[in-house]
Amino acid sequence: MTRTSAPGVRVKDLTVVYKTPAGELPALGGVSLSLAPGTITGIVGESGSGKSTLALSLLNAVQPPGRIKEGSVEIDGLGNVVELTGEELRRARGRQVGYVFQAAQNSLNPLKTVGKQLLDLGRSHDFDDLPALLKDARALLGRMGLDGGRVLDSYQHELSGGMRQRVGIMFALVLNAHLVVLDEPTTALDMITQAAILKIVRDVHHERGLTTLIITHDMGVAAEVTDSLAVMYGGRVVEHGPTTEVLGSPRHPYTKGLIRAIPRLSGDIDEARALPGRPPTLGTIPKQGCVFRERCPMRIAVCDTVDPEPVTRDARTVACHAVGRPATPIVPKEYV
Amino acid sequence: MKTVVRRLSGHLARGLAMIWVVTTLSFVIIRNIPGDPVRGQYEKLIEQGMSPDAAERATAALYGFLPKGSLWSQYVDYLNGLLHGNLGQSLSTPGTGVATIIGSAAKWTILPVLGGTLLSFLLGVTLGVYAAIKRSGKLGDALAISGSLLHGIPQYVIGLLVVAVFSTLWPILPAGGPVDIDFAPGFNGPYIASLIQHATLPVLTYALASYGGWILAMKSSVATVLGDDFIMAAELRGMSRGILFRYIARNAILPLFTILALSLGLLFGGAIFIESIFNYPGLGLLLVNSIGARDYALMGGTFLVLTVAIVVANIAADLLYAVIDPRVRKGAEA
Repeated sequence: MTRTSAPGVRVKDLTVVYKTPAGELPALGGVSLSLAPGTITGIVGESGSGKSTLALSLLNAVQPPGRIKEGSVEIDGLGNVVELTGEELRRARGRQVGYVFQAAQNSLNPLKTVGKQLLDLGRSHDFDDLPALLKDARALLGRMGLDGGRVLDSYQHELSGGMRQRVGIMFALVLNAHLVVLDEPTTALDMITQAAILKIVRDVHHERGLTTLIITHDMGVAAEVTDSLAVMYGGRVVEHGPTTEVLGSPRHPYTKGLIRAIPRLSGDIDEARALPGRPPTLGTIPKQGCVFRERCPMRIAVCDTVDPEPVTRDARTVACHAVGRPATPIVPKEYV
Repeated sequence: MKTVVRRLSGHLARGLAMIWVVTTLSFVIIRNIPGDPVRGQYEKLIEQGMSPDAAERATAALYGFLPKGSLWSQYVDYLNGLLHGNLGQSLSTPGTGVATIIGSAAKWTILPVLGGTLLSFLLGVTLGVYAAIKRSGKLGDALAISGSLLHGIPQYVIGLLVVAVFSTLWPILPAGGPVDIDFAPGFNGPYIASLIQHATLPVLTYALASYGGWILAMKSSVATVLGDDFIMAAELRGMSRGILFRYIARNAILPLFTILALSLGLLFGGAIFIESIFNYPGLGLLLVNSIGARDYALMGGTFLVLTVAIVVANIAADLLYAVIDPRVRKGAEA
């Protein structure tokens, strides 16, 4: 285990806005989040909660018309990614930070074999020893249960969804990146393949000593592989803490609602209760006050006017006025 | 290899069927055009006082043959001749085979059409990429507007404008004929220089007339590819600019190859206007002249050659597609 090489990540007050006809609207409203070196962190939330925007921010790759308005993303060994530009930024991508795309996405050039694209990757990052790169890739693919030689000779359309996803993971790891971001890595895969991919992610994470971030909307996936879990809503991290605690004793009313909404495999379907209302979209996020108040059962007067600050207690960060109004003075400190 | 042969044989069968249909249609249409030069000659001789028999013999001697029998038997004779590679005898130039005339005209069409099309393809595709990448800037706007403008002007208007500018207002290039007759034909400097000089304006016209289409097609194709997931994936993997550019260009150019092959075929039709403007002795001018002279055999032969050109271009496009797109290759095997 080479935990020493796993980088830590500190996101501070990150605000990302999208330019729309109605002006610049915030997709991320001052998010702070730390990924401890060597851990797997999960981010869960509904569509539009800002999960993917946050993931892209780690590579300073928010796509226009979006832009990072303020805040910083510090990655050990790279510095503040938000300030990287041009060649420096390009070299960090792939080499230091690996990115795995959603399974359903076509993340490969349809006109070239996997192997040729791997060589393109090696040349882009000035690898002199291309045969060694191919060898590493074959080994990685073999490690994930694929015939490496055959996969490298294949075109994208010759691979199944699960195989493509493994190829995507190979591309993220083959340059020896130690921070890996997986955006919905198992969405659109069948249950068996999903389980296999998650096992691979967990095993490779431990073998290589990585810091891993997994974006998902599937609580089951989060529960299975992550060490710590961040819950996002309306462009904010509303709760963050060790996965077992967040899922076992949720504090934020949104997290509670999410968990209550999961149907159990056995038992009455009516036990699962859907959250009332709809998640906000870019245009409907309230300008002031708590973003969750419209759907919140614990709403109090102050929620209408003041956006709750994230408060850290017992290794748990929660952003809610109504939660555990502590007798002790609030110490705004993020979870590490 | 086997799949290529099977693919090709399918194409050939379809191509031959198409050629047969066009041949039949053009035969029927041509025979229904009013005016018949053989009949005209025959009647003229009778008017001059010849006996019908003598007039028939004289006409047959002049043209080398006489159309006899029903339309159906003429049609069968014609097809039979075609199968033996015989396109018939020209009526307007008695004593010369249609194949010979077409053969000597073809080079004056094929070279300028190929040259002009390839020139405009390369130019339009390259500039189209820039127009797509800089589509929110002034350069992109200017390129797109130049494309729309040229795309909207008919070929023959461009031809006339080119003549007006480069031969009349600013006379630097000759506007008519394929070559100066002062020079002895052959592989010598002055003759070749004269050839190129005379070819410049027709080639320029072909190029300008199709350039607008290329730039617009490439621009929209690149814009589509830029939105594809794999381009963003390549970017997030830190692929270098050059490689990214190649990924975009190769994927965007795919649909254009089909248009290229089709437009090559169609340009032979466009040659009718452009060769008339520049008095260029290619297939287009030949077709116009043969219609004027009611030369059935030559008309039929020229139609046939234009049809074959389009069919061959289509087959070439399809085979080329299989070479450059692995998905099509796979589809052919399945």
